Amino acid sequence: MEKAFEIQKQVRDNVKTFQTYLTDLENWEAEMKRKEAALNGVFEQDLPPVRSKLKKEKPVVVPKKKEPRISSFDYKSWDKFDVDKACEDVEMEEVGPVSLDSKKSQQAKLEKLREEAQYEKERGNTYVKNEKWDEAISCYSRAIELVKDDAIYFANRGLCYLKKDSLHQAESDCTEALRLDPTYVKALQRRATARERLGSLRAASHDLNEVLRLEPHNHAARKQLEAIKARMGTKGSKSKASPSTTPTIESKPIITAKTTPKIVELPDEPTPVQDSTEKWRTGAGEGITVIKTVKKPPHLRSKRPLKNIPIQEIQLGKTSPEKPPTRLKIIELEDDLAHGDSNNNESKSEKDKESRITEEKGKGDMTEKIVSGSPESVKLNSDTIVTEKNIKNLVPPVNSVQFMSEWKYLKGKGDARSDYLSIIDPSKIPSIFENALESDVLSDVLTILHANVGKFSGKGVAAYLQAMCRVKRFGALAMFLTDSDKKILTDLLHHCKTVEKLNDEAIADLKNKYEI
Amino acid sequence: MENQDTPQIITHIEHNLNHSLFDCKWIPCSAKFVVIGSLPKGSGTIEIFEITSGEVRKIREIERPNSFKCGTFGASSDVERRLATGDFKGTLEIWDLEKSTQVYITKEHTDIINSIDGMGGSTVNCGAPEIVTGSRDGTIKVWDPRQRGKPVVNMQPVQGESKRDCWAVAFGNSFNDAERIVVAGYDNGDLKMFDLRTMSLRWECNLKNGVCCAEFDRKDIPMNKLVATTLEGKFHVFDVRTQNPAKGFAQVMDNTTKSGTIWVARHLPQNRDIFITCAGNGQVSLWKYEYPEQRYRTDDKGAACGVPGKLRRLQRMVVSTQPINALEWNRDHQGLAVATAYDQYVRVLVTTKLNLQ
Repeated sequence: MEKAFEIQKQVRDNVKTFQTYLTDLENWEAEMKRKEAALNGVFEQDLPPVRSKLKKEKPVVVPKKKEPRISSFDYKSWDKFDVDKACEDVEMEEVGPVSLDSKKSQQAKLEKLREEAQYEKERGNTYVKNEKWDEAISCYSRAIELVKDDAIYFANRGLCYLKKDSLHQAESDCTEALRLDPTYVKALQRRATARERLGSLRAASHDLNEVLRLEPHNHAARKQLEAIKARMGTKGSKSKASPSTTPTIESKPIITAKTTPKIVELPDEPTPVQDSTEKWRTGAGEGITVIKTVKKPPHLRSKRPLKNIPIQEIQLGKTSPEKPPTRLKIIELEDDLAHGDSNNNESKSEKDKESRITEEKGKGDMTEKIVSGSPESVKLNSDTIVTEKNIKNLVPPVNSVQFMSEWKYLKGKGDARSDYLSIIDPSKIPSIFENALESDVLSDVLTILHANVGKFSGKGVAAYLQAMCRVKRFGALAMFLTDSDKKILTDLLHHCKTVEKLNDEAIADLKNKYEI
Repeated sequence: MENQDTPQIITHIEHNLNHSLFDCKWIPCSAKFVVIGSLPKGSGTIEIFEITSGEVRKIREIERPNSFKCGTFGASSDVERRLATGDFKGTLEIWDLEKSTQVYITKEHTDIINSIDGMGGSTVNCGAPEIVTGSRDGTIKVWDPRQRGKPVVNMQPVQGESKRDCWAVAFGNSFNDAERIVVAGYDNGDLKMFDLRTMSLRWECNLKNGVCCAEFDRKDIPMNKLVATTLEGKFHVFDVRTQNPAKGFAQVMDNTTKSGTIWVARHLPQNRDIFITCAGNGQVSLWKYEYPEQRYRTDDKGAACGVPGKLRRLQRMVVSTQPINALEWNRDHQGLAVATAYDQYVRVLVTTKLNLQ
């Protein structure tokens, strides 16, 4: 009985609970509908960044503030933008509600200004990257107005002025930056550049020395300093008159950072210091012609294969034995021209060309001769060398291939060819040529013989002529002899007859062979 | 047996729809829920219902050519309330339900998205809004609605390893902006725990039967308990506070019900130690996890080792003739739940006296 009551009670209880629950539920439903209707406002949440973009996101946070009002590309609006007013607004905003706790508000205000200035700087930096100097300057100016004690803003604005060639302003900005941070290397370097271009070389070198003291391995600064010193050497007295340097500033300790390559500009006309190696390089005072490398862009270079030029040592002081190069194309550049080109000398990129530097005794008056790297001129140069070579180094050929290669090589140099020919034993000629004698070679040989009869007196022109006849297939070649060749032959035969006392029989034989 | 404080599970509203239902979710901050399903002709539907005085009223319907499989509001704020859905073709879409349009579409999965979970939308300082999807193609991808097109994390079997059908995914351990864990269950019984902060597999085990559902008791606290349900009427409760280097997590397993597949387990939002399981025979069971006196002890090697607690069944009730495949507790009203089953009914369940437990 008890049990039944209990169960009954429980069921009733459950139903009651359920009823209560349902009432609750209905109330809840109504409430939710009301709540939902109220859910209209924009709901901004500070969300953590997207996974895998965690690193990127940070720097973007600061600049949110002004963006919506004026777009960063809208330069005109920015020009009209009243910084003072904006600052006041910012101040009012900050000061207004919290002004009771003045210390706190001050802090917050400074923070705010700094943030603002930082933002301006970022914008300025972007302009600098795009080389928009004027916009960048106005950004930095705004940043400076907001925060007056940050060296970076001054130094950056200085850079912009420098780029705009407003050298005095650049200098004063850098000076200001250095007042705030005497160890700011970049500012030092910028000021040095500005001063250098203003002509105050001494002040500039001062700055650079300071840079090097702070950063001994700053190459850009070192280079610049050297250049300046060189300039000071050349126009020492001038630099004294340098306009805008205040000595007091110079003497201040200054610091430099690695310069961005952009900033440091090499002096316009560095006058290279002529030390001994330099002298050696230009060959000054040694009566030597130095052939310098010339750098040409690949598409302008000659397509012809490089020619092998043997280099021969000639003792200094010995005068070159031979005649000036016979061909007409030698180009000698004027000395001052050469000077203008001197920059090119530095680039020794092409070793092959460099190898062509030859020493040669020149006529004493010439200190420098630049032969341009074009193929013709190179060949010219080689001509002169070759002549020397002929005398000493030529070896008689043993076959037609050797002969032809040398012969072609000596093309255009009658002297050299005659020399070459003269060292060939006439009796060997048939075996050298075998059946490879060409008619044009034959006529060349005849011309050479004719032109240099004297050289062949030892062996006898006739011997050569007879030897040629013994070359295989000579009969065919003889048929191709031109009239001028025949004329030359006639002269040669006459020479044989008169000078070499060749007998009539032999002459007649030759005439027959050469079909005269 | 039953006493005065025993919760009662009552089917408050039953509504018959003429198509298959796969998932149901409460719309945050409202008395409305969405039902995700598939029409016989193969197109997918998203329907919005509102409960009013013991009745449900359909207030909107979206139909699209591809069947939807699952959905979540987890990565959306309570104001925007955007539903992320996964469909049979592997497309992840985020819906603006007011306008009935997608605001985010991406198809990176090559097969059906079986399971989806979201988090970070309405919590503060608990990490970015993110959605995790598990697919038959064997991959688990984590998405951030702010990043279009590509997942922020992609977990897939290494080359050569066989691809298992991923049936269940869930977030957890997201107690600050950095920490977050994804747990995934596979058809072969594998249960894997991925740490999204270190991008590593933190733990895995095999439950012998395919894992149908996995859920942490809370997503936004240092992980505490994990429930994983499987085929064959079993489910496992892991105490994931204490991980032993050798033994992993302590667990308690229940296979007493013989009710067929346990399709889903859901923790009560108002009480993390109470959860409900929905079984293949249409029965829902309410469980309470009772902690041991000491949650961990020190083993002979000096390492901490978790101690499993006990499971107590509070109530059970057969509410459907077919498997209940989805259930969700209402976040705002204790004891209110919506469930879909393969008998094509959507039910609003009421559980009383939960506050007494």
